[in-house]
Amino acid sequence: VRCQQYPPLRALQASAALRAASDEHKKEPWASSPQQHFESPPAGQQPEEKPQGPHPSYTGQGGQESEDYESEEQLQHRILTAALEFVPEHGWTAEAIAEGAKTLGLSVAAAGLFHSAGSELILHFVSDCNTKLSELLKKEQKLVQLGEAEKKPIDEFLRDAVEARLRMLIPYIEKWPQALSVLLLPRNIPSSLNLLTSMIDDIWHYAGDQSTEFNWYTRRAVLTAIYNTTELVMMQDSSPGFEDTWRFLENRVADAMTMSNTATQVQSTGEAVVQGLMGAAVTVSNAATSRAVR
Amino acid sequence: VPGAGAALRPCSSRVAQDGINRAVIDRIIRVDHAGEYGANRIYAGQMAVLGRSSVGPVIQQMWNQEKKHLKKFNELMVAYRVRPTVLLPFWNVAGFVLGAGSALLGKKGAMACTVAVEESISEHYNNQIRTLIEEDPEKYKELLQVIKQFRDEEQEHHDIGLEHDAEATPAYSVLKTAIQLGCKAAIYLSERI
Repeated sequence: VRCQQYPPLRALQASAALRAASDEHKKEPWASSPQQHFESPPAGQQPEEKPQGPHPSYTGQGGQESEDYESEEQLQHRILTAALEFVPEHGWTAEAIAEGAKTLGLSVAAAGLFHSAGSELILHFVSDCNTKLSELLKKEQKLVQLGEAEKKPIDEFLRDAVEARLRMLIPYIEKWPQALSVLLLPRNIPSSLNLLTSMIDDIWHYAGDQSTEFNWYTRRAVLTAIYNTTELVMMQDSSPGFEDTWRFLENRVADAMTMSNTATQVQSTGEAVVQGLMGAAVTVSNAATSRAVR
Repeated sequence: VPGAGAALRPCSSRVAQDGINRAVIDRIIRVDHAGEYGANRIYAGQMAVLGRSSVGPVIQQMWNQEKKHLKKFNELMVAYRVRPTVLLPFWNVAGFVLGAGSALLGKKGAMACTVAVEESISEHYNNQIRTLIEEDPEKYKELLQVIKQFRDEEQEHHDIGLEHDAEATPAYSVLKTAIQLGCKAAIYLSERI
């Protein structure tokens, strides 16, 4: 899973581990931590290993942090997640972030942490949804590997993945058109494009795509088109349970399958025709040569 | 979009992605994949012209090794989730044209092309080996092994080309320089696009 929005920080993992550690050892005397942290290998050198103990914060202080220390990114992450609850009421705005900060017991001024509140909130939400989708797909894949579930045919897999991802928009559907236009602002396009392409790549990866030729691009372009058009249809859909949208999605995926099958057929027919013509040419030239000899 | 012949694997064959320098590995695998793809097409072009001549079996044998290289990079590309270069259709045609064109200059011409290309590729692999060793030889052990082995085999092809009188080609140095310039450009572009 590639997290697009926040670069992985050692402090991030350390903070997460700190929280886990502090949950287990609530009464641990922090005065002794400098000793501990020199004995256990610092998490920074082996990021894939779970950190053994307290880790120096990214500001370089010793092990005397309070139990709730977290990096700024983590704090921003928490505020934005809390703000999502207020989006249906306030839209993707600094007000929603301020309300979110209030529920965490922080001052309303915490919204000032974000330079472009709306954009950051929306990008955070999209990144979050993509992460949830990846986890869902990974879980499903594990079930198939363990033999507890049937492997889905490709069109059903793509349909279900896109549907699952679009369903995450339902609680915010009223304000989503606004979000889409913000995502299309020139300054947001690099990030939103990045998030979109990595999400589509993730879906194909879990679908079992092994293409290493130009097909790699064709597949992703087609799925991106399907996703974007379905998203737009969903904005205008008022049918119960969005059934019109899911039917639209099913038809688009079926179209894509037909198109690819047709393409394969055209290619093999073309090859057969070429072989036929070559054979005919050889026959004619042989006939001409033997006639010339006689 | 999957067609009848497209490969769909049953389960994830990813390599663990934590801690590797994605930017460096992406480039390395993308450009190497493009290189082996192009090399395949060059030998295909040469075989199309010289397949029934006396050097046919030699070229065929070198081509078979390149096919193995390409297969290995296909696997690595899926395992590391690297995107292939957009220029593949172009290398498809350009490689074939280079192979066929050099073969039309005669057997020595084809060997000269082989020498030029294999020398470029060996140098390129050596650069990559150096980069990976500077990064972290332990972390990239498997990849380093693959690249080292392939570099040795490309060097063999280079030597075979020399053995078959590549240097006796008319305008050998001009031809060699031109081809190597082309290879440098192809490497530069495939790393990025």
